[in-house]
Amino acid sequence: MLKMTHLAKVYRTEVVETYALRDFNIDVKEGEFVAVTGPSGSGKTTFLTIAGLLETFTGGHYHLDGVEVSQLDDNARSRIRNEKIGFIFQAFNLIPDLNVFDNVEVPLRYRGMKAAERKQRIMDALERVGLASRAKHYPAELSGGQQQRVAIARALAGSPRLLLADEPTGNLDTQMARGVMELLEEIHREGATIVMVTHDPELAARAQRNVHVIDGQVVDLAEEPRFHAHAHLANS
Amino acid sequence: MRLDIAPILSTLGRHKLTATLIVLQIALTCAILCNATFLISDRLRWMQTPSGIDDDRIVRLMVSDIGPRADMHARVEADLAALRAIPGVEAVTVTNSLPFGPSSWNTPVRLTRDQSTPSLEAAAYYGEAVGETLGLRLVAGRFIRPDEYTWVDDHAAKQVRGSPVVVVTQALAQRLFPDQSAIGRSIFIGDEELHIVGIVERLARAGDQSRSGVYETLLLPWRMVTAYGGGFAVRARPGEAGRVRQAAAAALKAVDPRRVIIEKRLYTEVRDRYFATDRATTVLLAGVCVALLVVTALGIVGLVSFWVAQRRRQIGIRRALGASRIDVLRYFQTENFLLASMGIALGMVLAYAINLLLMREYELPRLPFGYLPVGAVVLWLLGQAAVLAPALRAASVPPVVATRG
Repeated sequence: MLKMTHLAKVYRTEVVETYALRDFNIDVKEGEFVAVTGPSGSGKTTFLTIAGLLETFTGGHYHLDGVEVSQLDDNARSRIRNEKIGFIFQAFNLIPDLNVFDNVEVPLRYRGMKAAERKQRIMDALERVGLASRAKHYPAELSGGQQQRVAIARALAGSPRLLLADEPTGNLDTQMARGVMELLEEIHREGATIVMVTHDPELAARAQRNVHVIDGQVVDLAEEPRFHAHAHLANS
Repeated sequence: MRLDIAPILSTLGRHKLTATLIVLQIALTCAILCNATFLISDRLRWMQTPSGIDDDRIVRLMVSDIGPRADMHARVEADLAALRAIPGVEAVTVTNSLPFGPSSWNTPVRLTRDQSTPSLEAAAYYGEAVGETLGLRLVAGRFIRPDEYTWVDDHAAKQVRGSPVVVVTQALAQRLFPDQSAIGRSIFIGDEELHIVGIVERLARAGDQSRSGVYETLLLPWRMVTAYGGGFAVRARPGEAGRVRQAAAAALKAVDPRRVIIEKRLYTEVRDRYFATDRATTVLLAGVCVALLVVTALGIVGLVSFWVAQRRRQIGIRRALGASRIDVLRYFQTENFLLASMGIALGMVLAYAINLLLMREYELPRLPFGYLPVGAVVLWLLGQAAVLAPALRAASVPPVVATRG
């Protein structure tokens, strides 16, 4: 589903080159639920933005659903983001000027879907996250947990092949976080491929597989003695 | 093509104040633009009004003689002879007036001797063969014959009785005798009954008269003298008016070196002076229109730039969710189109309100419906042009902004 080989991302200034990702390798199979963990600044979010085609990379290869994406132009990347990828952001990223219904509708409009089908999908997605009754509410009128559920509904409405979640519970209290996590697990059970970036070991432990990123590279914690304690905690 | 009209309206509804301000600005510009364009085109049309004479071939000269005014007729004859002798001169006369000249000699016209209120005030032209000299086009009857002219000063002193003939314009003939031929019909000017012997296509009046009666003019069988305020009208061969002007001034000076040539103008200059105020008004109105359009365009650029900066993260989110650059560009263009459309709709109502006010206060004609779509198209295009640069900036916002702000 998602395969990166020797991928590199370099940020260049006039005086310095910074490697955000270096020789980065990952292979996520269809239907997997993978948690990407690592300390702040390790490159987790950079990996996610590249995986979601929000950013380009400097070197290596990236195949998404069998397509090498490095040669795609901006329009093609937009189309893939719209049709194959669902995003769940830490800060929810709802559009404050649009109500819940219109927020969920945003990616469907860019797909050129007919109004009746859009409406059906939106209401189905909102039903699923338990917010159908809040369709006419604005984001500011909802709690953080509800906003994140709207964001999940927006991601689900387009039936994406891949769900990318960036610290999806980072801005939520424990109870709300648990609810959102249960929702993600339910979505995964129904067959979705999910890649979740988190620094929360408890959440990471609920994924099928953990991938650890240190200094822009995927590392095997079992072979890194200094991370044994971390690995033990993550897998407990 | 995907048009996000409903969500855009929803978004605008959340920014009512700024949206309303720009809509009002567009509405005001539309209303003023429609009326100003109408006034400009009205003035331009008026400035193109045909005089009825050969504009490019006529030269006007005014002289002021110093000393006793004895033997005025002989002086005029000597002057005319001197002018006729100039190569390139086809005809010459002394006339009291020229179309769109500085002063009009108006006379009340009656259809019966005992009519208490005149039918209208016509502008009268005096001068022997003035119709032929100015190049008027005869459409019926004949011009006044040479033997029918009498000197205006003799006539004023009641020493002679003028020939009872008159030539009128088509406009005057139709006004006085709408359902029948005017040839042979009588009109009364003062106590004199005059028979209409000819009709000319058109001859505009001078002075500051209402436009509707601009062609209500007639030719009287009176020879004009310079001492009565008449000026020389010289008809030159095509392309020779400029040279004839200089030669004519010299010839008149040669007849009497002490006299002062107070005016020697091509007729086109006379006409230009008459329309100078209209021209200035047109330029002023056009300037106001351009200034308004520039201010409105800057207003749109400013507002959209502000919105782009304010919505940068939203744009990034849209890009992340699958919007292409074209989608973002189209979003802002559609938003501007909707704002402009609201402004234009309001502006059209306002345009008619302003027009009604102008009609009542300044007797302007009703604003033709055709000016409204012109104003609408101009403002739609202006809006799209103004929004382009900030919308392109918006389209260049990368999707990664959704994650990094």
